Amino acid sequence: MHTTEANYQNIPVRDLDGDALLALSKEMKLSLSREDMLAVRTYFREAGREPTDVELEVIAQTWSEHCKHRIFGAKIEHTTNEGSETVDGLFKTYIKKPSEEVFERKPGFVLSAFHDNAGFIRLDDDKAVCLKVETHNHPSAIEPYAGANTGLGGVIRDILGAGKGAKPVASLDVFCFGAPDTPPQGIKARDVIHPLGVMRGVVRGVRDYGNRMGIPTVAGAIQFDETYIYNPLVFCGTAGVIPIRDIDKTMRPGLAVVSVGGRTGRDGLKGATFSSAELTGDSHAEDQSAVQIGNPIEEKKVADFILAAREEGLIEFVTDCGAGGYSSAAGEMLSETGGEVFLERVPLKEPGLSSWQVFLSESQERMVLAADTANLPRLRELAAVFETEMVELGHSDDSGLLKVWHHGELVCELDCGKLHNAPRREMISKWMRPESCRIPALEGDCGGMLRELLGDFAICSRAQIIREYDHEVQGNTILKPLAGARGDAPQDGSVIEVDGSASAMALGLSILPEWGKTDPYRMGLAVVDECVRQLVIVGADPKRIGLLDNFCVGNPEDPKELGALVETTKGIAKAAEAFGAPFISGKDSFYNYFVTDEGPVSIPTTILLSGVGIVGEIGHVTGSSLRSSSSVLFLLGQEMAPLGGSVIARCKRLTGAEVPDTDCAANFTLYEAFAAARTAGLVLSAHDVSEGGLGVALAEAGFSLSAGIEVELPVEHEAAPFLYHEGTGRIVVEVAADKAEEFAATFAGLPLRRLGQTTADHTRLVVHHRGEAVVEEDLAALKSLWKEPLGRWY
Amino acid sequence: MNTDRPHALLLKFPGTNCDVESARALAAVGFDTTTLPISQADSGSLRDADFVMLSGGFSYGDYVMAGRIAQLRIEARLGDALRSFADGGGHILGVCNGFQILLKLGLLPTGSLIDNTSGRFMCRWAGLNVTDRRSPFLKHLPDHFELPVAHAEGRFVAADGLAAEYVAQGLAPLIYENDINGSSERIAAVQSENGRVFGLMPHPERFMERRHHYDADWADSPRGWGFLFFQGLAEELGVAPSPAMV
Repeated sequence: MHTTEANYQNIPVRDLDGDALLALSKEMKLSLSREDMLAVRTYFREAGREPTDVELEVIAQTWSEHCKHRIFGAKIEHTTNEGSETVDGLFKTYIKKPSEEVFERKPGFVLSAFHDNAGFIRLDDDKAVCLKVETHNHPSAIEPYAGANTGLGGVIRDILGAGKGAKPVASLDVFCFGAPDTPPQGIKARDVIHPLGVMRGVVRGVRDYGNRMGIPTVAGAIQFDETYIYNPLVFCGTAGVIPIRDIDKTMRPGLAVVSVGGRTGRDGLKGATFSSAELTGDSHAEDQSAVQIGNPIEEKKVADFILAAREEGLIEFVTDCGAGGYSSAAGEMLSETGGEVFLERVPLKEPGLSSWQVFLSESQERMVLAADTANLPRLRELAAVFETEMVELGHSDDSGLLKVWHHGELVCELDCGKLHNAPRREMISKWMRPESCRIPALEGDCGGMLRELLGDFAICSRAQIIREYDHEVQGNTILKPLAGARGDAPQDGSVIEVDGSASAMALGLSILPEWGKTDPYRMGLAVVDECVRQLVIVGADPKRIGLLDNFCVGNPEDPKELGALVETTKGIAKAAEAFGAPFISGKDSFYNYFVTDEGPVSIPTTILLSGVGIVGEIGHVTGSSLRSSSSVLFLLGQEMAPLGGSVIARCKRLTGAEVPDTDCAANFTLYEAFAAARTAGLVLSAHDVSEGGLGVALAEAGFSLSAGIEVELPVEHEAAPFLYHEGTGRIVVEVAADKAEEFAATFAGLPLRRLGQTTADHTRLVVHHRGEAVVEEDLAALKSLWKEPLGRWY
Repeated sequence: MNTDRPHALLLKFPGTNCDVESARALAAVGFDTTTLPISQADSGSLRDADFVMLSGGFSYGDYVMAGRIAQLRIEARLGDALRSFADGGGHILGVCNGFQILLKLGLLPTGSLIDNTSGRFMCRWAGLNVTDRRSPFLKHLPDHFELPVAHAEGRFVAADGLAAEYVAQGLAPLIYENDINGSSERIAAVQSENGRVFGLMPHPERFMERRHHYDADWADSPRGWGFLFFQGLAEELGVAPSPAMV
């Protein structure tokens, strides 16, 4: 089915004033500001004609926050307790610049960053790996299953559209929800889906897309907080592998522009602009058409086609159809050369689409590629082999103009160069660090605290969800999300073997929104630290790590919320520089707030920091579960830190405490020493100390039930804060007794404590302090407490 | 095609997603392997095959009964060729979605694979007990071993009393150690009378090497149980035993 006629109109803008232009933007739901509309007017006054609706929609999509990341490019006047400064673009200053310095320090490591659909780092002599993470927050808020389903589908296409087509090999998913036991009467807006419904829908959406695509979902996290009830966050990420020779892609005039995959319909109209505005109760009724419908088998066929075509050398350029549909895919592809697209060739799901709907629809499972016309016959054969639809949309030329034809009428003609020059925003941000309050001392029954923490939604097992994801398809998941002697203990990250390589890929991630409520800068330091630490623990070389930053922010026009973002960004920049771990990709999502009857509710400034690390040899892979009942247990890292941001502080309602600072340079030295000890064969297992502190880390390591645990806390510290603070940079390491001295010697001058040992009493966790057993718990019972909570709700 | 080695044909449907690791597993034990998309298959496709495998995945999405559309496509593209191949003594293996398809094709003792009793997809490892040894796949395996499972529709059911008969007759050669999905008689695999057509829900191709096990200290065998599974068939079809196995 195709359109039968062009259906577009001219929209007069040249004689409108600012107010009328803004009204037009609102009426057409363009999400363009007054300044943007004035720039549009200037463009068409110079062109000497009025725009078509197709052109306005293309500009709105191209300039949307979702596509253009204009807040990360904005000039920001930032004020803190120390004074004011001008930030000349967050991305340029704090993401790109420090990363490019690392690129120079490590030549040949980062092979592509910031310009493609995903950044690549070198795996070995002839292969590279990439990772991309996207958010799909607003679609998941109003239609959790479909929103998450297409969120994962979309990021998989990013990988297929990275380089000349990378192979997706693993996925990760991170969610922020309201607590599943939120009382329904406590939700203060109509049409908001209860957090339990959101969680169930989102998990099943990810499950049904990932499992059907045959991509293992190997890593993830869930944060529960009441601020996410109205605006849940859904991060979907996928990692890929590509031959290094297929990373670079260039357009040139005379190539055929080809669409492959699904047909085009009204599903997913204006998703880019929809996601660049706040949610309201009306969103649930009015914006349904912005959410697409997923069809993973269609995408699987496209993936098989793209990978086969790339292997045969038939692809010159490829990109995905994401937000903005053909407009953004063809726009990106033709932005340097120019070219023509013919909308009447587009196969449709339903009749009656107008011109702009065909060009802007975000219908799923479509990829756009450019190929030499001589290769079209073979591409058609491959499309038949994999039973997917391929159509020649148009071609590139050397005009520098994007020309869109529909049944012989020119419905859009825009200058590619000017199209990408959106007016720069100027913004104001302010972050006044709150005076950290003195909180009452944490004291009491340490065993009781441990039981409370293990049963808390923040810490309890995610097994019920992990087991719904096929995390072993492709047969390369070497370190699984649940492992240990019984296959059900938590791990710090995942490791994926790569076909045809002796090296492997580690995936890790960190998200600490609670910290950012008090100190976003320290949250920035801490998430980078935790992600790097996880990667190193599971087997990565500390010098071969690439990072991704995914921000979610409430209302950027609120100086305080924007201020928290600026501080977070400074924090991650500082940490990434100290760890020598560059950012290779990232994404930001704004307007994550919901206008309730009682006013707007924003999410806390949230950053998901994820990373990919290179594991030099499979033998370096290290799990987090205890293996032997005659080992020595060491604690690496600074021993004490304040309680701010910790789960125990939230459980005990100790609000406002200072959150821990991070000495990234010192931690990096420690991680390098750890990696060296591991390479020397001195490490049996290692577990990061994070949510729930040392107490929870010890219990989780013991969940293999292969050994009991007996440790002694230092007399100079109080037991409860020592056990449950969440200071960064710490690792619990299990070392065979006969290697303990050699291990300790490699940490000379670094913070290391011999905590105790594993025991043959396989179910006992005993913590001594000042001559008293402050924790004396049954590990199997603790494990049951940890395993159950989510199952009652999910 | 390398004629020294037995030739395996892997049939692939839109939505098949375990073909790459299955091909890798077959190559590891000495097969010469071709992956054939169903769009390219016809009644002559099996002519040179010594072994046909249907691997795991979600053929056509499995939105109707798992394997149903793939069954119809096979019948349309291959006609009777697969049945003739089986009747002629050919070896056929179906893993997970492949097992579901073989049942629908009627190449295995009658039965169905339906939704797990939990109603959920499940990715975990499962203990298996061997109850019959006529199949070459089980030749090298001990009476009890483990494999990964990953399915939503893995509960084997058959008409009243049939499942127990299959176990008694040795047609259900693998039984789950514990009930994980509600299968009648805890059946994990069924086979034809001659043991040459074999279907199982667990994934042997995911456990080829020791490092694939969840426990870093697993050392019950020099190679993964999946390697031994495929090795048995490779030897039956003329591949010399590998030194690692001796």
